[in-house]
Amino acid sequence: MYPMRGSDDEKLDALFRAFQSACPNPDPGANFMPGLWHKIEARQNFGFSLQRLSSAFVTAALALSIALGVYMSIPRSIPSAYSQSYIEALADASSLDTPQNVSPARLDLTDAGR
Amino acid sequence: MLVDFELIRRAQKGDGAAFNEIVLAYRKRILGTITRLIARPEDVEDVAQEVFLRLYFSLDQLRKEEVFEPWLYRLTVNAAYDYLRKQRRRQEFRMSDLSEQQVMMADAAAGGRVEHDEKYQKKIRESVDALLGAVSDADRILLMLKEVEGLSLKELEKVYKVNENALKVRLFRARQRVLKAFGAAVKREGAGVKPA
Repeated sequence: MYPMRGSDDEKLDALFRAFQSACPNPDPGANFMPGLWHKIEARQNFGFSLQRLSSAFVTAALALSIALGVYMSIPRSIPSAYSQSYIEALADASSLDTPQNVSPARLDLTDAGR
Repeated sequence: MLVDFELIRRAQKGDGAAFNEIVLAYRKRILGTITRLIARPEDVEDVAQEVFLRLYFSLDQLRKEEVFEPWLYRLTVNAAYDYLRKQRRRQEFRMSDLSEQQVMMADAAAGGRVEHDEKYQKKIRESVDALLGAVSDADRILLMLKEVEGLSLKELEKVYKVNENALKVRLFRARQRVLKAFGAAVKREGAGVKPA
């Protein structure tokens, strides 16, 4: 696999082999298993808390949506000031009969024959 | 396989006792692999616990029991890589930073004059740790799995989920880098060696 194997190559292989025997598999400490289960439980509890929090949030959002829906569906009495449409209000405020809008029509017939 | 498929299936269904048995079967091997991968004895147990923690929460994702071991190796590699990345413990070691004594230790190892005392072993560990500073954390782990853990290319293929050719290229390049650093240091020390 490795071409051009030279003495350095062999030395490196030997160094790796020596490293392997210099680093034997250590024995686990007495607290390894209790520590592991403690970590598992801690993460599970965190997961459950997160799950509870998210379900509470979903419930609250659902309740708010229902409340808003109910609120919007209740018929409410509209104040008279707002009962007219814009056009109606405009027509009321400046009727065509009011003098400032109505002026006599003038017809200039002097040049009509030319 | 150190455990049977039935035990894995039981653990997948949430059987705590089965999971406990799996951990007991594999913990020593995983501790050894992590010891060699991270070179920090004081943090080995923490990283190993992280591996089994990840195993516990992802065991249900394992589709085939046959790939359990490569999968566990994958979790180990990922946890070791995350640890190395977090620690940012690589200080751009080069062989030039190695003491003459360390290089002599490397030579001694090559010559087979291995003395099994703790001091010597410590120096071997330091030498390899420094040498592997020539490559990235990812390549360091790959090289370690191949050269020290003795995983075959087929096994590495399952661990890394990449094809054999890509692995060969990556391994070759990583090894060449380490070899270059090793050779340079040996030459340098050889040129500057003083008679005792």
